[in-house]
Amino acid sequence: MHFKVPPSWALPDSAVTPESHYCGRRRFLKQIGLGAVAAAFAPGELFAARTGLPAKLNPAYRLEGLTLTKENAILGYNNFIEFSFQKEAPRIEANRGWKTDPWTLEIDGLIAKPLKFEVNGLVRKLGGLEQRNYRHRCVEAWSMVIPWDGFPLRKLIELARPLPAARFVKFTSFLDTDAAPNQNSSQVPWPYTEGLTLEEAMNELSFLATGIYGKPIANQNGAPIRLVVPWKYGFKGIKSITRIEFTDMQPRTLWNQVAPQEYGFYANVNPAVDHPRWSQARERVIGGGLFEGKKATLLFNGYEKEVTALYRGLDLRKNF
Amino acid sequence: MNHLLKALATRRLFWPLLAVPAIWRLIVPALTDGLGFNPLSELLHRTGQIAIWMVVAVLALTPLKTLFPRARLVNTLNRHRRAMGVAAFIYAALHVMEHFLYEGELRGYFANVWKPFFLTGTFALLVLLALATTSNNFSVKRLGYHRWKWLHRLVYLAALALMWHVGTAGKGNWPFAQKVFLPLLALQLLRVIKPLAERLQIAVRQLRMKAS
Repeated sequence: MHFKVPPSWALPDSAVTPESHYCGRRRFLKQIGLGAVAAAFAPGELFAARTGLPAKLNPAYRLEGLTLTKENAILGYNNFIEFSFQKEAPRIEANRGWKTDPWTLEIDGLIAKPLKFEVNGLVRKLGGLEQRNYRHRCVEAWSMVIPWDGFPLRKLIELARPLPAARFVKFTSFLDTDAAPNQNSSQVPWPYTEGLTLEEAMNELSFLATGIYGKPIANQNGAPIRLVVPWKYGFKGIKSITRIEFTDMQPRTLWNQVAPQEYGFYANVNPAVDHPRWSQARERVIGGGLFEGKKATLLFNGYEKEVTALYRGLDLRKNF
Repeated sequence: MNHLLKALATRRLFWPLLAVPAIWRLIVPALTDGLGFNPLSELLHRTGQIAIWMVVAVLALTPLKTLFPRARLVNTLNRHRRAMGVAAFIYAALHVMEHFLYEGELRGYFANVWKPFFLTGTFALLVLLALATTSNNFSVKRLGYHRWKWLHRLVYLAALALMWHVGTAGKGNWPFAQKVFLPLLALQLLRVIKPLAERLQIAVRQLRMKAS
């Protein structure tokens, strides 16, 4: 019989640090440090770019007569499928150490010279932030009213100076399977992508937000920088943007790839054009009373005046 | 364990047990602000989920009995299939009432009439209604056992409709539908396969005996 006597210095295999942990040791230390700083500000939630906050309300976007959704509901009721398919889980799942500060935004494609910005630096370069209160209508027929802090997308486009051939803007979100386990699923073409026509992107309403309620945008709301296009369904408002690309072809977008018959490129809010599986005529206001019922949804989510010109001659039923 | 099984076998204990999901998932959360930021939507989903779990539980019991004929828990629960079916109907009815409340008015409710989730859900509800109203000995006698049995086999169609209903009622719902219904489908398949496999075994044995 053969006995293997381990020497006194031997370690079992179970004590070996996995390679991924070893390689990520610096990141781990940074996360601990960052977590401690963030915890000092607001326990439980990590925050991103702070530059320019709080911002002053742009009086043109006061939204007279509508009540702002409570901050707690905005922070607690999210679709962020990178982290969870439940509405109230992203608040937890997106704050398990996912790092959104610092954050680099790349701008390339059909422009003279590719650009790269850290989000705080970009805000400084564009001359600060403004607050706008926008209606927010999810394709799932619920809605909020959100006070965003950010800057018009047009400002960034003017800085990037796209070439004359550029006709579309493509947005790409982050890819980090460690932080966002749902991104391991092969059923969804990660990372999240979205797109606008250049004309839509230049519209006065198109907004890049880095804050909500005067505070840095929370991870679960799309830290540190996200798109806000209030006349479109919420899924067009891509979160946590890492790359903005100018193209001459209409970009493929995530939900359009997942279910092209249900989620079109335009995704304009339209009570007359149903989702194939449910009516879009009405919406439930988050934070409303139990017996309030739904309220009627407005064409272009109430932004008809600002965006109708973009779609002149376009069949909105076909181009949903 | 024995006492528990005995108690579980009595209706007096089992019927209140069927109300536990309502208390735990609906009433207590509703009273303690535990339904989140879109409470009506949450109630809508929860009533529907409970109804579906009930249907799936009833449909899982027969195959479980075929596969594990001597398991005492399975046998005990099998006595209560009728009560569970009626409970499924009651939760489904609550789910529909909640849908009225969720839409707030009839116009909104009927805006969805031709949507697949509405049609499949309505079909399943009507089947459950028919089965719940005939879930008594009187109906078995009046219809005759065979006709009654065929009527109640509609529940399999209802389950299929419910799978479709769950899958199409929201964005990204298919994973839940699969999680609930695929195991049930597997159980039902095993239920069909098991007697066939046994018959095959006997046939093979007989052939061998003849050969020798």
